[in-house]
Amino acid sequence: MSENNTSNISSTKEASTGSLSSRRSGSNGSASRRRPRKKKKNQIPAGILVVIIILVVASFLSKISATASLYWIIGVSFGTVLQRGRFCFTASMRDPYLTGSTTLTRAVLIAFALTTIGFTAIKYGYFMKGLPIPGMGYVVPISLATIIGGFLFGIGMVIAGGCASGTLMRIGEGFQMQLIALTFFVIGSLWGAHDFGWWKYNVISKGKSVFLPDVFGWTGALILQLGLIFVLYYVAQRYQEKQVH
Amino acid sequence: MNEVVLDCYGEACPLPIVKSEKAIKDLDLGDLLIVQIDHSCAMKNLPEWAREQGYNVEVEEVDDGEWEVFIEKTK
Repeated sequence: MSENNTSNISSTKEASTGSLSSRRSGSNGSASRRRPRKKKKNQIPAGILVVIIILVVASFLSKISATASLYWIIGVSFGTVLQRGRFCFTASMRDPYLTGSTTLTRAVLIAFALTTIGFTAIKYGYFMKGLPIPGMGYVVPISLATIIGGFLFGIGMVIAGGCASGTLMRIGEGFQMQLIALTFFVIGSLWGAHDFGWWKYNVISKGKSVFLPDVFGWTGALILQLGLIFVLYYVAQRYQEKQVH
Repeated sequence: MNEVVLDCYGEACPLPIVKSEKAIKDLDLGDLLIVQIDHSCAMKNLPEWAREQGYNVEVEEVDDGEWEVFIEKTK
């Protein structure tokens, strides 16, 4: 592409913008008006080096503990998927208001549906064997604090330009401004952890914790949750169609 | 035919859209807005927003992790 550019530097502004508007039908005669730019660096050697470092760290960690090695690999994979997929929880909640687009909202809903099925399968498997169900420590009481906390987190992530995973992923990309977000994210987490006991005793434990399969049965809970997600998906789809027309 | 370059380097996700929305209001029909961004998230939702508005849009990666979004005001 850069070779084409150099031959076209001399083309006048009028002629070049004209060529863009003539491409209205979407034909791809692009790069006609582009200024020349430096050649991009070949990233493949750096990529291979990073993969080698990741594998070395993984094998080093596996000597200490297999779980640490697994966490490392899952973390790296998760980051890659987030970055490549341009998946953003912040945008999924913010874009419906800002631009009327619910593409990412629906992507998050699909992710919720998949995890619902996966987690139900895992938990039901343990339940059938009569083993203690894993992850029950995460069934925590819900109260007004959940809503207020979620709202505060929402304000924070829109200002910071990313939620927890998004901020970390963009720092990995080299977006320096979000180092500020990370700094305060760490400070806030430490402060939160410091005072969590008080909140838990005085506010959180006053709420009621609900595990849906206890209330509706395993099938009922699964159908209810997937049904709810489907309704949200449908609403999101209609919302976007309405915004456009 | 005017070309307006909007420098959004270093701006996190919603700002490029908000700024583009403001900038494009002052443009005449057929003018070109060039938004420079380096936030990968904006690279996705800025073109999507502009296309939904019905503008002609092109994205070019001008350098590693830096993009120029060409938005032609068509309506």
